[in-house]
Amino acid sequence: MARIRFQSVSKRYGSGQSAGQFAVEGLDLDIRDQEFLVLLGPSGCGKSTTLNMIAGLEEITEGALLFDDQVMNNVPAHKRDVAMVFQSYALYPHKSVFENIAFGLRMRKVAEAEIKRRVEDAAQRLEIAHLLARRPSQLSGGQRQRVALGRAMVREPSVFLMDEPLSNLDASLRISMRAEIRHLHAQMRSTFVYVTHDQAEALTLADRIVVMNGGRIQQIGTPDDIYERPQTIFVASFLGSPAINLIEGTLARADGAAWFCRGAWRLRLPPELASAADGAAVTLGLRAEDVQLAGDGPADLPAVVETAMPSGADQYLGVRSEGQTLYLRVAKDARVREGDAVGFTLTPQRLHLFDSQTGRSLRAGA
Amino acid sequence: MQRISHDERAALGLLGPLAVVLMAVTAFPILYSLWISLFAVNLRRPARQPFVGLDNYLHVLGDAQFLESVTRTAWFSAIAVLAVLVIATLVAILLDQEFPGRRILSACLLIPWAIPSVANGLMWKWIYDANYGALNGALMQLGFITQAQVWLGNANRTIPLIANAFIWKEVPLAAILLLVTLKSIPSDLYAAARVDGAPAWHRFVHVTLPAMRPGFLLVALYELLMAVRHFDLFSLLTEGGPGGASDVLAWRIYVETFRNLSFGTGAAMSYILAVATLAASYALIRSMAQRL
Amino acid sequence: MSGVIIRRPWAPRLLRTAVLGAASLLLLIYVLAPVAWLLSSSLQQERELTSIPPHWIPDHPTLQNFRAIFATGLGYAQPSANGVDPTSGGFIPSVAANLLPAMGNSFIVAFAVVVLNLLIGVPAAYAIAKIRFRFRNAALYTILATRVIPDIALVVPFFLMVRKLGLLDSLTSLIITYLAVTVPFSVFVLASFFEQLPDDLDRAARVDGCSRLQVLTRVFLPLARPALVAVGLFAFLASWNEFLLALMFTQTAASQTLPIVVAGITSDFTVSFSFLNAAGVLAVVPPVILAVMFERYIVSGLTAGAVKG
Repeated sequence: MARIRFQSVSKRYGSGQSAGQFAVEGLDLDIRDQEFLVLLGPSGCGKSTTLNMIAGLEEITEGALLFDDQVMNNVPAHKRDVAMVFQSYALYPHKSVFENIAFGLRMRKVAEAEIKRRVEDAAQRLEIAHLLARRPSQLSGGQRQRVALGRAMVREPSVFLMDEPLSNLDASLRISMRAEIRHLHAQMRSTFVYVTHDQAEALTLADRIVVMNGGRIQQIGTPDDIYERPQTIFVASFLGSPAINLIEGTLARADGAAWFCRGAWRLRLPPELASAADGAAVTLGLRAEDVQLAGDGPADLPAVVETAMPSGADQYLGVRSEGQTLYLRVAKDARVREGDAVGFTLTPQRLHLFDSQTGRSLRAGA
Repeated sequence: MQRISHDERAALGLLGPLAVVLMAVTAFPILYSLWISLFAVNLRRPARQPFVGLDNYLHVLGDAQFLESVTRTAWFSAIAVLAVLVIATLVAILLDQEFPGRRILSACLLIPWAIPSVANGLMWKWIYDANYGALNGALMQLGFITQAQVWLGNANRTIPLIANAFIWKEVPLAAILLLVTLKSIPSDLYAAARVDGAPAWHRFVHVTLPAMRPGFLLVALYELLMAVRHFDLFSLLTEGGPGGASDVLAWRIYVETFRNLSFGTGAAMSYILAVATLAASYALIRSMAQRL
Repeated sequence: MSGVIIRRPWAPRLLRTAVLGAASLLLLIYVLAPVAWLLSSSLQQERELTSIPPHWIPDHPTLQNFRAIFATGLGYAQPSANGVDPTSGGFIPSVAANLLPAMGNSFIVAFAVVVLNLLIGVPAAYAIAKIRFRFRNAALYTILATRVIPDIALVVPFFLMVRKLGLLDSLTSLIITYLAVTVPFSVFVLASFFEQLPDDLDRAARVDGCSRLQVLTRVFLPLARPALVAVGLFAFLASWNEFLLALMFTQTAASQTLPIVVAGITSDFTVSFSFLNAAGVLAVVPPVILAVMFERYIVSGLTAGAVKG
């Protein structure tokens, strides 16, 4: 059982008071007991540093880290009830699979019979029981990954940390392991903190996602929150594939409504997006999947097709509009050819509008 | 001052024993030696050890015998370093090839490196022996000389002959280090040169040699350090003779300290040697520290 | 195989083989000839050894020198009395009895230095390789600097210190000073080995419940065997071979190591040439066996210590 709280935590590398770069700055985060929390962001955003601070592998420069109500700043890694799975798996090359999994229990002086029971149980669940006598060097990547999971599982820790555990696996294995990890979380009743740069992984696994960039938290929320209501341009652009279309323009008020204007193009905005002042520089976020081909009816967005890229179930169009290329998704059977002039209708509630200066969402209540 | 972190406490604990040893047996002696060098310490007059400031240094630097030993050391080092470089480069190139017996050859190569310098000295002294030595024997059998030579007794030959024994022992390590550099040259470079139509000789001069520069630098500096401080062979083969022909710095320090029992000037000499070596190896330290 | 095999013209291949063969032979002779002559000389009777031209291969090889060394060293025989002609067969010089005890001293010193090197060098190397701390660079530079201090520069203060501590003519003085001379290199070889082991291994072990010291003993040490062997060998050979410091500190057979006794023999005119060479062989055999046996470890250790260090 563990609730994990960061209170104004900063981490600086390098020595001396003034020198050194912030890896994490002013982090406030409350991780609920038994939650599955994913730290998401590009490399160098501070997500691994955050994870390592929970593990006790990196020291905290400023602020406090609490497990439940206990300050953990000065508790070394080996005295924390934390297990961790590493991207490189970090299996002990000189130990058998059994001993790899048992090592954490041995260090904690668990009775031999109990060690045997737990290791075999975990091996059974991970379907690696037949590998227990082997060395890590004799295993495939997927098998090593399972051993690494098993090593963390048997500890039955209150905090379960994973640092990009799936990124060394091939694509198909990665998808099936996601389901297993989800399942593991349901069984374990531990707090899971999971670091990844893969947004799809984050969206699948997380109860809540923390998006980080440049050592700071960009947004905390459920996968839906993060995807549907991004609070910053960074979050909007980091999630979604293909990346969200960002269109710069100005906000104009006329005829009792707010309009997004770029060149000759004017788009009426729904009232909840219209909080900015007249003439403000704004950025419109438009996801590829939030458009329909208008056909012969009235269109919100006129454009010329530059490229048509069928991709299995759908097709993506690269279209040119007001001097910018946008990537949009349409049905596979839509008959468009390169060079065609087409119109799209947009779903107003699914549009995103950001202040171009601050990068923050202009959605009311955001 | 920041508080001491867990990691730093662990590091201090783990480095502690080493720190104690190096303090007691390296740092302290170095400082102690500096201290001694400022006194007229002579074990023949243990009661009187007046402070003389820099007199020892001035005396040593004005001493013709000392300055001659410096020149002689430089001469010895120049021969040794150059020869080691050349021979070791050839050996490294040979060992870089694939051929049957290469592994046995490289195992044998370690023998000179492994044997004690005393045994090395004894061995070469016997080879150079004026009456029954192998050098005389072989050269006479081959018809190069008709009469046995007094090799080490000839002042002009002493330094090169001692250098030869030194080189024989130093070549293996140098060759191993150069071989590593050689193996680290990316094969793309060769492929590119081959595509450009460069013949083997050109590839060697324009690709291999420039790429080996860091290895050459490392070996040259290391061998320089070894040659400048070398004592064992001079002590075993000639004891500085004949007539001071092999009186190099290390031998001079030994004589000054343990035969003349003049510890003050001995310390001053060794301090000059240490500072000179340290300065010469500054570049070496830099290049090595950057790699770790 | 039906593929087309493109053969290089035969002449360059033959030339290559010839050049490589000749060069290998030349190198082998250069490296082995002096040692072979040492061995050959040690197996000859003094009369044969002083014949001209030299007998490169002994006509009547004899182990009499070695027999004498072992017999006197183990107390089964006495050295020959003064006044007996040293060139006559069966003459045993008085120093013969000192060789085995000196070898024993050398073993004790070398063994102790190896153990201390590992005890002190391993934790230090681990700290340097795997822990980030404020004075890491300072520590690194200090250790590097101690590596380039010439031992001759330490001789004067060492001697005075050892004398003041009453440790002259004791093995302890040798062990301590050899430790100081060898440990910086050991730390470098070990640190560069530990650096190659993944950081995640260190982290995984700590999360699994190991303190820093336990990470070292339970995970890193078992993986570092090649580096430990290399470092142990270097410390052993350096101690076994050391001459200068032993020359200063030792005075009697109680503490004299093999190099000192052998050096004494080379300047002793009463000792026969063949016995002299036998003493040399005695000093050469242990390090050469170790070097050839552990060639692989030594080469990788040397390159780690010198190139990466």
